[in-house]
Amino acid sequence: MRSSDSAFLDTLGVFYPGRAPQTPTCVYDYDIRVYRPFSMRRWVRPQIQFEIDHLHPFEPHPAENAFPMYEWGLNWCIASSAHRYLMLHAGSVAFGDRAMILPGTPGSGKSTLSAALVLSGARLLSDEFGLVRPERGDLLPMPRGIPLKNASIEAIREFRTDAPLGPTYPKTRKGRVSHVRPDDTSLAQQDRPAVPRWLIFPKYVAGVAETLEPLDKTDAFRQLAFNSFNYRLLGDAAFNAVGAIIRNVDCYTFRFSRLERAVEHLTALVAETETPGT
Amino acid sequence: MNLLNALLRDPQVVRNWQAAEWNQLLPLARSARLLGRCLSLFEQHDLVDAVPPRIVDQLRGALIKTRFLHVQALRELRHVVRVLDRAAIESAALKGVAYLAADLPPRGWRSLSDIDLLVREVDIARAESALQRAGWVPNGEFDDYDQHYYREWMHEIPPLRHSKREIEVDLHHNLAPPVSRIVIDADRLWHAARTVSDGHGFAIKVLAPADMLLHNALHLFMNDELRGGLRDVVDFRDLYEHFRAEDSDFDHTLVARAQALGCERPLYYAVTTGQRLAGLQPSPTLREAVAHAGPPAPVAALMAWLIEHALAPGRLGLRRTRVANGLLFIRSHWVRMPPRMLLRHLGHKLLLRRKPPAPEPDLPG
Repeated sequence: MRSSDSAFLDTLGVFYPGRAPQTPTCVYDYDIRVYRPFSMRRWVRPQIQFEIDHLHPFEPHPAENAFPMYEWGLNWCIASSAHRYLMLHAGSVAFGDRAMILPGTPGSGKSTLSAALVLSGARLLSDEFGLVRPERGDLLPMPRGIPLKNASIEAIREFRTDAPLGPTYPKTRKGRVSHVRPDDTSLAQQDRPAVPRWLIFPKYVAGVAETLEPLDKTDAFRQLAFNSFNYRLLGDAAFNAVGAIIRNVDCYTFRFSRLERAVEHLTALVAETETPGT
Repeated sequence: MNLLNALLRDPQVVRNWQAAEWNQLLPLARSARLLGRCLSLFEQHDLVDAVPPRIVDQLRGALIKTRFLHVQALRELRHVVRVLDRAAIESAALKGVAYLAADLPPRGWRSLSDIDLLVREVDIARAESALQRAGWVPNGEFDDYDQHYYREWMHEIPPLRHSKREIEVDLHHNLAPPVSRIVIDADRLWHAARTVSDGHGFAIKVLAPADMLLHNALHLFMNDELRGGLRDVVDFRDLYEHFRAEDSDFDHTLVARAQALGCERPLYYAVTTGQRLAGLQPSPTLREAVAHAGPPAPVAALMAWLIEHALAPGRLGLRRTRVANGLLFIRSHWVRMPPRMLLRHLGHKLLLRRKPPAPEPDLPG
């Protein structure tokens, strides 16, 4: 990753601390450049361009949105090439070496719930992509900023007044966005995979009392498979990987409205599972 | 020459590579659509252990996607051929999908996004309407000029795509435009074509081995989409090695066929380019035959320079590459259209039309 935009690099340094870009001994996946294209707009209303391998998959964005654009660009890179992994469309957090997968369609509150769990001591594996190694069935961590959209930003601020939020970007393609920085433990343990143990389909419903309901495994299989980016593409490897996950996890649907209560429910679930037979 | 070419010529070079070299290779191979080929080279030469795991992951990911595209392409081929069979129209698979159907070496790694078929010129209008009745639609918007361009001057019709699927279908009636300098008698291709079967009751014609290579060479010689053209050069090498191993007399067949079809010049370019950029090792027979088929020395040198900078840039994004591509683009039109037609075509392209920008991909997250 190279960039000449110092404001962007500052934000990047907050979210990816200690990751010196382009140390000569490090092999990287993508050659990414974030820069201000040379044009008249440079002085009037500066823009920023995301470049990967000298290609420009997106139109330039307003320069102030460089960081969210970089994050989306990175997601695009991963979604279009990381087929070595089964890519679940899910947030995932870990308690020790055991992972909780939180799949969800946009608006289900998975990012908000993942962020709340991480702020309560869970280890962040990843938001947006759950990267599963099909041959082992475990999840690889990819702790990056968790993007919160619109009202979720206030919800998290209310949940933890000291939540480590990055800058707020008021006008992006996806509305108002702010990222929760992963905690140092999650970052330090980003080479430590975790084995799926719980599969929770969250659904934010305003005003609802938190309810955790066991979900039939056949339904869970279908929902998890259809919520993955490359299920069809991986064919039988994906079928087997999803099957293995479903066999090893407890499956629930989870309707929630209050983050404090939601986190209590899920941590209680984790505590129960940790002491089998009691 | 770049690291990708060095790798294609001698895979053992990677034993000395450090991070800097790997970081150069990945964008080059990605842009040339040769990630899968790199992995198969490493596997063939027992080099996978010498490759950083992160790179292996990227190569495997690309190959997984390619295999998925293979399934889609073969399925599309079966759908198309079923419709054409019902209309009693004979068809042959060309290029990528033909390598798949005939189980030829590029099958192990070659990605594709469209399928190409050959039908007879007398059948092409019927073939198009049969497919349109069965759910295929034009893949893109083609104005009157485009329609005229394809139907009157080119050897193919505007691309089709089934309304419920993603793979493009290109119907051709020849290997080169009828207005070009090289005019090929399609009947001779049909006469030599072979039938291959997938073992599950599906059979399709493909070109004879020599014709397959000459088609590849013509493509390199005349194609105006040179980005990723190195993949076709590697196809040539892999097919050549395969056919030669199968038939010790293949070189003579190939040379004789090139003469018969008037394709000596394209074969010259394919062989010399393959040698320089993709580790092709032509037999003395073939080398001797093409040595006399080149253009005058200054033209040959210029073309070698252009092809090298278009297909083997030292790194991506160089101005030289754009210049070389631009000149080759003009040349590709020059060889396939008479001058007046070319002027009219370029004038139309440059002055009268602005293509709308391609839609942006969705931003995940």
